[in-house]
Amino acid sequence: MPVIYVLDVPEFRALADVARANSACRVTATPLGYIRIASDGDIVFDRRELGFKPAIWYGAFTGGIEGRIAEFGRDTVRIVADEGAAA
Amino acid sequence: MSEVPTVLGGVHHTARPTWKLKETVEFYNDILGLPIVHAISAVGWGPEDHPDFIHLFFGAGRDSTIAFFYYLGTPPLESPLTPDHWLYKSVHTAWRVETRDELLAWKERLEARGLSVLQVRHEIIESIYVTDPNGYMIEFTWQVREMTTHDGLDAELTLRAAIAIEEERGAPVTDIETVWRRKGALVAAQLDEVA
Repeated sequence: MPVIYVLDVPEFRALADVARANSACRVTATPLGYIRIASDGDIVFDRRELGFKPAIWYGAFTGGIEGRIAEFGRDTVRIVADEGAAA
Repeated sequence: MSEVPTVLGGVHHTARPTWKLKETVEFYNDILGLPIVHAISAVGWGPEDHPDFIHLFFGAGRDSTIAFFYYLGTPPLESPLTPDHWLYKSVHTAWRVETRDELLAWKERLEARGLSVLQVRHEIIESIYVTDPNGYMIEFTWQVREMTTHDGLDAELTLRAAIAIEEERGAPVTDIETVWRRKGALVAAQLDEVA
């Protein structure tokens, strides 16, 4: 089950908004200022749907991930469950 | 131990060498409009290979300055780096402007003077960049929002994750995914603690 932590600040908030509209994702606020997004399947985002410019897009997961990046392209990112040990 | 608090009050000056005195004055004073606020000219005080120098300062707002050393009689250093090298660009000065309108006004002003201006929206700042006659990058930046305590704590965790990986490996970390994964583990552990 991949998880991402999104710092709860305006520039990253679209990640949580888009995930809330996705029935596969569970979005919860945490006490530490992070929004936790978990999914039973892959976590996939489209840059244009998020409205992210490149500087935000390429730093979108700076809050941390549990899982690994299977794909990080110009417009699509996919985080998948980590099958191996954490780094 | 002194009881006087050790608190910084912002930038007084940054300083770099120049081999283009006239062009530097034209750029900072004439084009950018920064006042010439101070200049030291000294004889025989510098190191042996360039004993005489002029140390010049331009006012950059709120009592901050940008300074240059002009080492008389010293040829430019042979450097393997040219101003378009990333290392050359990474060392730069960024000045604060208070509003986006001011940022755009600077862009208009600089372009009207024939300068090539790069505009970039970052995470919490929007910036324009120009290059001075010495090849130094100058940035004007508008901060979109205040930095919060969350920003600071998040930054600490990012750095802690990267340093932990490097200490374990005994080598520099080479990719950001590894840092994000470690950071995810750190955040999860902290959440467990407060749960």
